[in-house]
Amino acid sequence: MTTPRSRRRRRERFLPYLLLAPALILLVGMLYPFGLGIYYSLTSYWLQYPNRFRFVWFDNYVDLLGEPLFVRALEFTIGFTLVAVAVQVGLGLAVALFLHARIPGRSAIRALMLMPLMIPPVITALMWKIMMASTNAGILNYVLSFIGVDPINWFGSTQGAIVSVLIIDTWGNLPFVALILLGGLQAIPTEPYEAALVDGAGPVAMLRYVTLPLLSPFIVLAVTFRAMDSLRIFDVIYATTAGGPNDATTNLQIMAYQYSFQWYQMGKGMAQAIVLLLLVVMVSYLLMRLWNRASESTQ
Amino acid sequence: MRLQRQWRYGLLLTGIFIVGGWLSAFAQDDHTLAYYRQAKINWRQAEGQSLTIGLNKHPFTESLLPLIPEFRRLTGINVEYLILPENEYFTKLVADLSQQRGEFSVIMTGPMRNWQYVPPDWIVPLDDFLNNPNLTDRGWFNLEDFYTALIAANRWNGKTGGGVGEGPLYSIPVLEESYILAYRKDIFDQYSIKVPTTLDEMAEAARQVKKNAGIAGIVARGTPAIGTVATGFISGLKGYTDGQWKELDDKLAANLHDPRSVKYTEAWVTMVRESGPPNWANMQWYDAMEAFTAGQGGMIADADFFAANYEDPKKSKIAGKVGYTLIPTGAGGNPHSGLWTWALGISKAAKNKEAAWLFVQWATSQSTLLNATINYRNYNPSRASITNDPRVQEIMGAWGGGSYLKTVAKNLETARVAWIPQPERTRLGDIWARALHEVYFQRMPAADALKKASGEVDKVLKEAGIKP
Amino acid sequence: MTSRAVSYQRLMRQVAIALASVVLLVWTVFPFVWILLTSLKSPGDIISVPPTFIFTPTVDNYAALVVGEQRGQYASTRPDFPRYFLNSMIISMGAVALSVAAGIPAAYALARFKFPGKNALAFVLLSFRFVPFIAFVIPLYILYQRFGLYNTHAGLILAYQLITLPFTVWMLRSFFMEIPMEIQEAAKIDGCSWLGVLGRVILPLSAPGISVTVILGFMFCWNAFNYPLMLAGRQTFPVTVGAIQFISYEQVLWGQMAAATIVAALPQLLLSLMVQKYIVRGLTMGAVK
Repeated sequence: MTTPRSRRRRRERFLPYLLLAPALILLVGMLYPFGLGIYYSLTSYWLQYPNRFRFVWFDNYVDLLGEPLFVRALEFTIGFTLVAVAVQVGLGLAVALFLHARIPGRSAIRALMLMPLMIPPVITALMWKIMMASTNAGILNYVLSFIGVDPINWFGSTQGAIVSVLIIDTWGNLPFVALILLGGLQAIPTEPYEAALVDGAGPVAMLRYVTLPLLSPFIVLAVTFRAMDSLRIFDVIYATTAGGPNDATTNLQIMAYQYSFQWYQMGKGMAQAIVLLLLVVMVSYLLMRLWNRASESTQ
Repeated sequence: MRLQRQWRYGLLLTGIFIVGGWLSAFAQDDHTLAYYRQAKINWRQAEGQSLTIGLNKHPFTESLLPLIPEFRRLTGINVEYLILPENEYFTKLVADLSQQRGEFSVIMTGPMRNWQYVPPDWIVPLDDFLNNPNLTDRGWFNLEDFYTALIAANRWNGKTGGGVGEGPLYSIPVLEESYILAYRKDIFDQYSIKVPTTLDEMAEAARQVKKNAGIAGIVARGTPAIGTVATGFISGLKGYTDGQWKELDDKLAANLHDPRSVKYTEAWVTMVRESGPPNWANMQWYDAMEAFTAGQGGMIADADFFAANYEDPKKSKIAGKVGYTLIPTGAGGNPHSGLWTWALGISKAAKNKEAAWLFVQWATSQSTLLNATINYRNYNPSRASITNDPRVQEIMGAWGGGSYLKTVAKNLETARVAWIPQPERTRLGDIWARALHEVYFQRMPAADALKKASGEVDKVLKEAGIKP
Repeated sequence: MTSRAVSYQRLMRQVAIALASVVLLVWTVFPFVWILLTSLKSPGDIISVPPTFIFTPTVDNYAALVVGEQRGQYASTRPDFPRYFLNSMIISMGAVALSVAAGIPAAYALARFKFPGKNALAFVLLSFRFVPFIAFVIPLYILYQRFGLYNTHAGLILAYQLITLPFTVWMLRSFFMEIPMEIQEAAKIDGCSWLGVLGRVILPLSAPGISVTVILGFMFCWNAFNYPLMLAGRQTFPVTVGAIQFISYEQVLWGQMAAATIVAALPQLLLSLMVQKYIVRGLTMGAVK
């Protein structure tokens, strides 16, 4: 016998799935092209040779392991992410702490902080490229020359190129990190601070034992955002160095782009994209576990 | 009462303006279209159809845009166009051609690009259109007006490894690009630097410029992509080997590591490293050109028509100070410059091929190209009559005090497409340029880097089924 | 400690703070200022060495965006920029609207209900954002051509869901979880169905969070480059693709590109100023469950 109550309970059991349906349908629609992409990665699809199209199973993936550029790109992808995240979250924390203190004009600064996010990364990179011209023709070197620094070869040397990409990426994303951490700082209640003050803690101790632990979920959040994006960074590199010089700034996404869009070797390009995806999924899974643990510990 | 009369006067005046404007538009119409109406074909035979044109961002395309409404009045064909910078343009173009969807009917292409499009049958030969008296008035169109070398460059018989200059004509050239050496005459004169005729002299001149004038002795493209090797570099190498060296041998095996190529590469890269700009490895074509135009380089071996920028007093710091000469050769003494033409072709998937041909014929006719050169700086002209037009002679004749025209004329005597026809030319060039980076950053000696590059090229050609 | 030493310390502290503020400001704002200056320079000034701060400004670059005829210096650029701007508006607003419409119920389900597969579904939703665009773009291009979605606003709005939907769901879920259960229970006792709870309690209370999500989603859409490059044609290009058209074959029109960048940034600037108060709060409201 179905009572109204049990009917409602049954409806309620399906309700969440119904609510999720529109979002899932939209995204599931995307599974088809994604599936197509995976399919291509298992073929020898090469745009201008349509009659050489065959199914090659995992050949593209196996060949990738033997490709020296792949190893270099993998190294750069991971290495750049580690450094970029450390720099951006570290600096972001410093900026957030700075803005959290009651300094004059901080609301104005906060408003301005969002500005870098408003320019498309492609344009940001192009403009920075002009500013970072290697002689004193570049405004950056010009300004640095006033404090006695020799012109830096921003994009013409391998180390310079990596640093330049890091600077541009940091410029674009530091505000985002700082604002997240600032919000976290503002969410921390005052009680722990008062208790610590009673215990006689100085500013450094308070930072270490109160602020950082309570801020940890936000820190992990910022790390997650930045790590996911740094692994896949593309626009900045494409617009400035295109992966050079001498493949120094080639990451997996750039490499996949070259194979797919410059040389039209879709099969291999897709395989590289899938490998990158696996890497990103792995890292995001780990970070998500970390976030769960961090949020629980602050309860 | 007065108000009503005022209204009526206003209405009358407005009416006169409208009719007058309308009539004058027609008068203009007749005047500008008069040239095209001379052709003994029915321009309106494809009336009502639509075309989409894929265009690279270029002075020539800029020149076409204001004229598109004119084309519509002439033919009744609706034209849509898509313009993108070079890299993005080719990405989108190849995506469209490979799907054969026919998004683009008329495309901007060129000799080496055609090698990619012809084997999979993505573009159509134009000879049938040219020879069809209903579609083309050959006398009026005057194909012979085009420089022979340019037309030949756009012909290909489809055979990998050879056959440029024979076979069907796949595109009509709209400009000519060959490679010469531009140098700072004022600096060379001031410090008594010899204008180089060999590679060694070029390195020495670069050194002298850097030492005396404090600027980079030579500027050049340096990104790890085909552009770096495709202009001055390969022209110099061909001259160095008196035209004998080719990047693929008769069996289509890569020959980048040929001893002559190795020696040339060593000398060239050393010159750029010693006397070139610090960011050579990141210089795109416009970086190199702008650096020279801003007075930051002593020499540049690249596209001839960049001179239009060097000599533009409105934005060049060196206008009037530039000399032009042939790219240095080796002992043989003959220039073997490469050649490139942008050209208009027709996609196989185009739904209105006759309409597309009418557009191509119109866009490459003498009047349209002349307008492009004179008013929109489309250099160098692909038609002899345009180069010889007094107005053009006046502009171009002034460059380098006359040395520009002389140099280009001499260059064109021997300039040829510098590559062996095969669909992976771009890939080959990219691999080659990356090898140059290995040498520049001293990760490998030239011999090893080029040998590795040859190996990579062989692998690609084999994978693509080009090489057995 | 003497009072002089204390005030000296305070002075040093203030100086240090001021210095740090200035450095932060300059670091953040300078490139923007440089782009603005470039947009007002004539071509000769742009490539001059050393770079100039003092020059006679010109509005030619901005005029070129709208009118198309560059006065004297360059070949004409087409006045397509207004259309690109409009496209960006349509596509970004459409994409965000669709994401919010689908995202609100999805976020609500994930926030307030317990059901099997919840965490897995949440992770799957989120992971769509991480797929490298390359894996999608070419297959999407091929499919769009076949189904007539190529070069349509609708097609782009759909494709942009890859950018905004996972983000929107994740953010909204966090905000919804912030709202104390007691208020929701109270509403239920008052006789509200789940829809009523959603409409009357959750949405109003999380309005700041929703605004932040909308703004950030709008910004991500506005700045997208790779999807529209392949999936849009001339009629539907947004400003990001439009801006690179200033790279010509024989020159780069830096001044006009700079002007286009400034104009393209204006809507985002306005939007963010409007909700400035909420942004910091909103960004992190849900980070702690």
